[in-house]
Amino acid sequence: MQDYSGKRFLVVDDFSDFRSSVKAMLADMGGKDVDVADRGEDTLQLCRTKRYDIILHDYNLGSGKNGQQVLEELMAGKLISHQCIFVMVTAESSQAMVLSALEHEPDAYLTKPFNRASLAQRLDKLVERKTALKPILQALDKQEPAAVLAACESLSQEDKRYAPLCLRYQAGALRELGRLDELERLLSGVLAERPLPWAYVALGALLHKRGDLERAKALYEQGLQAFPMLPALYDGLAAVLLAQGESKRAQQALESAIKLSPLAIRRQMQLGKLALDNEDFGSASKAYRQAMEQGRTSRFKSPENYLGLAQALTGQAGDGSLDKRMQSEINQALGELDKSYGDDKGLQLRSRLALASSLMKSGEPARAAKLAQEAVAGLAELPQFFAADAALKVASQLRQLGQTDACDALLKSCVEIYGDDPAVMQGVARQTDNAEILGGGKEAVEFNRQGVRCYQQKQFDEALALFRRALALQPKNISIALNTAQSLLRLGGEQLPAELLGECRRCLEAVSVMPDSDPRYERYQQLRRKAFGQ
Amino acid sequence: MSDEPGGLDFSTVIASTVHDMKNSLALLMQAHGQWQAQLPLQHQHGQAQGIIEYEFARLNGMLVQLLGLYKLGVNQLPLRPAYHELEDFIEAQLARHQEVLQSRQISALCEVEEFGLLGFFDQELLGSVVANIITNSIRYARSNLLVRAWQEQECLVLAICDDGQGYPQPMIDQQSNYVLSLNHSTGSTGLGLYFAGRIAELHERQGLRGHIEIANGAPLGGGVFRIYLP
Repeated sequence: MQDYSGKRFLVVDDFSDFRSSVKAMLADMGGKDVDVADRGEDTLQLCRTKRYDIILHDYNLGSGKNGQQVLEELMAGKLISHQCIFVMVTAESSQAMVLSALEHEPDAYLTKPFNRASLAQRLDKLVERKTALKPILQALDKQEPAAVLAACESLSQEDKRYAPLCLRYQAGALRELGRLDELERLLSGVLAERPLPWAYVALGALLHKRGDLERAKALYEQGLQAFPMLPALYDGLAAVLLAQGESKRAQQALESAIKLSPLAIRRQMQLGKLALDNEDFGSASKAYRQAMEQGRTSRFKSPENYLGLAQALTGQAGDGSLDKRMQSEINQALGELDKSYGDDKGLQLRSRLALASSLMKSGEPARAAKLAQEAVAGLAELPQFFAADAALKVASQLRQLGQTDACDALLKSCVEIYGDDPAVMQGVARQTDNAEILGGGKEAVEFNRQGVRCYQQKQFDEALALFRRALALQPKNISIALNTAQSLLRLGGEQLPAELLGECRRCLEAVSVMPDSDPRYERYQQLRRKAFGQ
Repeated sequence: MSDEPGGLDFSTVIASTVHDMKNSLALLMQAHGQWQAQLPLQHQHGQAQGIIEYEFARLNGMLVQLLGLYKLGVNQLPLRPAYHELEDFIEAQLARHQEVLQSRQISALCEVEEFGLLGFFDQELLGSVVANIITNSIRYARSNLLVRAWQEQECLVLAICDDGQGYPQPMIDQQSNYVLSLNHSTGSTGLGLYFAGRIAELHERQGLRGHIEIANGAPLGGGVFRIYLP
């Protein structure tokens, strides 16, 4: 038996009898430091201030968060170390396992009722395993994938019992390091041996990422034959179908996942978005409503759910008028949004437009027009430009509210800033056939494309020249500006002449309106640090 | 669940009731455990306690099996296979029965052919099968119980053996019938074998499916239950 006297325990269950009985078992095993709680929210709070070694967490806690949601938030918020033992206690394990997200699996499930011998056996084994895995887990905590790989290598040679576990950590590390060829070989090898659920999900995502959509789709379908109750496979399949332009079938796949596992905010949000694109407003309302409600107490809360719900409800009215009950639900959702995100000017503006769109259908055109005017006035003062999706949505709302000039101006900015992204250009083309707007970025995008090719071939001088020509045409385009800045820094090395440094800084300043939700934001920040020397 | 508002889908009713019964039983077992801990030492491990614990385990096992069969029927039994250490798996199964084994003075052993033997299976599903078979063996065993695991060609074999009177000969002769179908005359052991057979079958590798076998005799002289997993 392991020594538990120095371990910090947390027991979470909504039944006080159960808590005291487990506490007694732990005391009997030598445990001295045992905290208890009855709600998942308390777990999060406690883990913020204390590092637990072993957490025994009930899955079904009545109202509030369930054990799986708590675990996801603990991991996402880095509130527990990888070295912490998390045991999910359930009345019936298979249900909880279906609902668990593959990337956030507990270390073990323990089915109620259990006796002291079972608890001790389980914990002994887990402590032994975590001790053996310690070098890997420490490297994970430090976010050093190269060290994870090295530790996996030596452990799987030392003790073959841990080889299957190591494969999984290796796969994660290879992905982090971007060593995708090796990752594909590893995952294919694992699947050739045994149908492991996690390997299906990982290989599917990898093939998708590499643009091999047909193979990704075939793989997910094959995985679903073996594991028809694995929501993550439906999620992956939906993403592939969407990338292939099959948004109706993508929605169906996601609906299958939701049916299996409805308590997943990000999945509900994704379904809402898809259903909205498919103009299936009823399903969109339902999904966004769920996402909004579940998000209230979660770190995965998102303003998009409030706006999405308002838009979906407005859409449900079709060409007819919006009934009072729906209008009041919209008012409530947007009111909550305004309260939660009061300091975000862009969101306030979008909230106002969403309200205006609904009021148009509630027979209040005057109020709608007033709100639309306010929104247009606010556009000029935004500190950050919208993300592409949001910008397109706002433009379409402006047009429906009769603000044609503001709409065109916004689409024009959209092309200037995001014109190198074909998906954005398709979105713009759906809203306008104005050649001046649509053709605005073409030449610059072509120069940029050639520049990227030169850069990849290490012809940095040619690349810079091309990027400069592109930037002269489209000075606000984020990709082009970042490419130019990067080329300048690359050529100049440590001692960039003042003149070029100035040019580099101007490039970056010109795109400082980029939203911090943009996937390139991290790269932008890195370039800024270099150019402005911090 | 039935979509018809007036219709009563009886298997759904049973499933949801069984679910509640399981929760209720869990609370009962827990309360009993706490009450037992407060008793004077000489009453803690009497014969009646042994019966209570054994029947708790049996009830729980039957309810788990019933839920499993329901889910198999509606095709909603999730399979989550992974690599597991056999020794760990077997020790966990024996730990679940520790009180009963103690009170009946049965010594239970785990034997794994090679150190660190790994198997590829769904731990929960196989666990519920093994728990039921162990419960059954405890009823018949005189003083010894042995759970063994070894690799045999393409299959992992898990055997639960006791030193009791063994399975009735007709049952051994017609074991494939028990696994293939259910009828009223097979009783609870028959149902257990049927469930075990179905769970074994869910484990498949390159066209090869798992299966079960029952026999009498070596190593302990009583009943032997074997499950083969590819």
